[in-house]
Amino acid sequence: MSKEELSRGAQDISQVINRQISSKIEYLQGIKESIESHNDRRVFQLLDNRRYAAEIEHREQQPNNQDVMNLVDDLADQLSTYLSANLIDYLGHAYPFFYYEEYQTGHFRIYFGNWWDRRQFGELDVLNLRFVFNQDEYKKLSRAFELQQSGKRYNSVRIDELSNENDRLQDLLDHSREREQKRNRLQEQLRDANSHGGLFESSKAKESRQELVDQLGQVEDEAKQAENAAEKIKENEKTVLELSKENTILSYEMKSITDTFGGFEEFELANRKLYADYLKHLSTLTDGKQVTSDEQ
Amino acid sequence: MSSNERVVSNTINQVAALSNSIKEGLELGQQYTSLVDELISTTDDEKLLLATKRLSSLDLTNAFVQLPQHYQVADYFLLMMDRLLTLHQIEGFEIFEDHDHQLTATIHPFEKQVTFAFAFDDEHQGAFFNEGASQESLFFIDLDNRQLRFSNHALVDFFVENEFQHFSDLDLQEAVKPLVDFANLLKTQLGFKIDLGILNPTNAYNVRLAKPTMDLTMIDKLFVSTADSQYMLFTLPHKNGALLKLDAGIQLRIFYDQESYSHEWFYNVTDPDDQVSLFDLLIHYPLLREWYLANRDDVAVRSLPLILQSVTDERPTDGQLTSSREEEADDQD
Repeated sequence: MSKEELSRGAQDISQVINRQISSKIEYLQGIKESIESHNDRRVFQLLDNRRYAAEIEHREQQPNNQDVMNLVDDLADQLSTYLSANLIDYLGHAYPFFYYEEYQTGHFRIYFGNWWDRRQFGELDVLNLRFVFNQDEYKKLSRAFELQQSGKRYNSVRIDELSNENDRLQDLLDHSREREQKRNRLQEQLRDANSHGGLFESSKAKESRQELVDQLGQVEDEAKQAENAAEKIKENEKTVLELSKENTILSYEMKSITDTFGGFEEFELANRKLYADYLKHLSTLTDGKQVTSDEQ
Repeated sequence: MSSNERVVSNTINQVAALSNSIKEGLELGQQYTSLVDELISTTDDEKLLLATKRLSSLDLTNAFVQLPQHYQVADYFLLMMDRLLTLHQIEGFEIFEDHDHQLTATIHPFEKQVTFAFAFDDEHQGAFFNEGASQESLFFIDLDNRQLRFSNHALVDFFVENEFQHFSDLDLQEAVKPLVDFANLLKTQLGFKIDLGILNPTNAYNVRLAKPTMDLTMIDKLFVSTADSQYMLFTLPHKNGALLKLDAGIQLRIFYDQESYSHEWFYNVTDPDDQVSLFDLLIHYPLLREWYLANRDDVAVRSLPLILQSVTDERPTDGQLTSSREEEADDQD
């Protein structure tokens, strides 16, 4: 390469570098200013320009500037905490049954409801403006809505099973006195038979003695079952209570969703639209400060 | 003096002595009748109380003048109660006399199906207000110390458990009203210290649980029973118990006091008009009533012994005995 080519090359590359650096500075300035002026909407736009363009401006396939996007990666938690203030405020109205706990900077757990035994339902992804629901809990809820259509409850079948078993076991227990009496009677009869036995015992006597032994064995089996019955009944009752609690929690959750959204599908739709709905809401804020609910 | 003269003067003395004894007896009778008249005719509450007290301590036994038919101490208490209620236009309470001159009372709308009477306790110088058939003592009244205390246990047994089967919730509430009115009259007019127990409607009043702590499984059971109702059970903000939201802004809290070392559990009922008591809730809400009765051993309220010891004794920290005379503040210890 000639000296001129080298020097022109050096100029070119320095321009490239300067351009890149300017671009980075612009980006960071943008974020800094947006935060200073509480312009949450602009922060979201800067964090994910492509999504913003697609969902808000309806301009498809705007590429993200990869060079700058990761500049604030190490500030993700702090940005999350910062942006959560307005978001949680908004969600307080849109999803009145969700409660949040910041267990770590920028990380939020969602609790469904403030009732007795409410469940942890997932996490709130602030930067991406989406709910990350715990799949097991979410599926239970979805299933509960389905079952409600046919008038059933989530754990009804299992609860019925256990209740029936308890009835059977209780029956065993209830008859323990009679069983005890029968056992005593058989034992006495056996003692009698034994005392008259011995070498000269007739085969008939032997037969009837054997029958006594068999009957006694059966009674003792039942007695053993009954021994554990009390404990098993308690265990089952505990399980039934847990299952019933779950049913109750689900019914409360369903009620909340129905009261706020009308139905499960509407709830799911709202979840999908959270990004767009929230950013639209943010653009109604003046000076980045939250408008009071009266003014909304 | 001759022996003849001595005998004559002795006899005269004896006659005089007898005459005096009869006079004393008659005076006793006179005293009795005037006290009874006072009891049934005075319009002054203090005089009413005084007449009852004096009649209660009047010993009518006399060797020379006997009153074969008269009232008992328990009857004076009943008369006093009836008179006090009448003087203050409280209706629904009526007394009847049987052929033995024993007085019993009926309350609307129970009418003759259920009767009440006092039973005087000599040892503790006070009277129990008892239901006729079950002999449940609903409250104890001590005139000397001016105290009245309801038995939570008896109130639940009698109204919530038993009579519930024969009467509606509105009937039961109506029946209990004269009793509460009576207690309140004693407090406002005569400066009594009263303990309404679960009948207390004040929002600030907390009823203690009988057991030292509440088994959380019990609250789980209450929670589960709300599933079929329109009511919801919430957790309290400080995680120290539960809150049941009922109709018309009525709230039942079941909670323990975090401040106290012992973490004792309480029930508290609040409503916008300060008129609803735990008793009302047990009567009106099958959800609560069934839960309470099914788990009574674990969730029952504490029921203090009816016999009150002297006034200087330990004061309960919950819903203190309130007296209008001393204007105690509703502070919790």
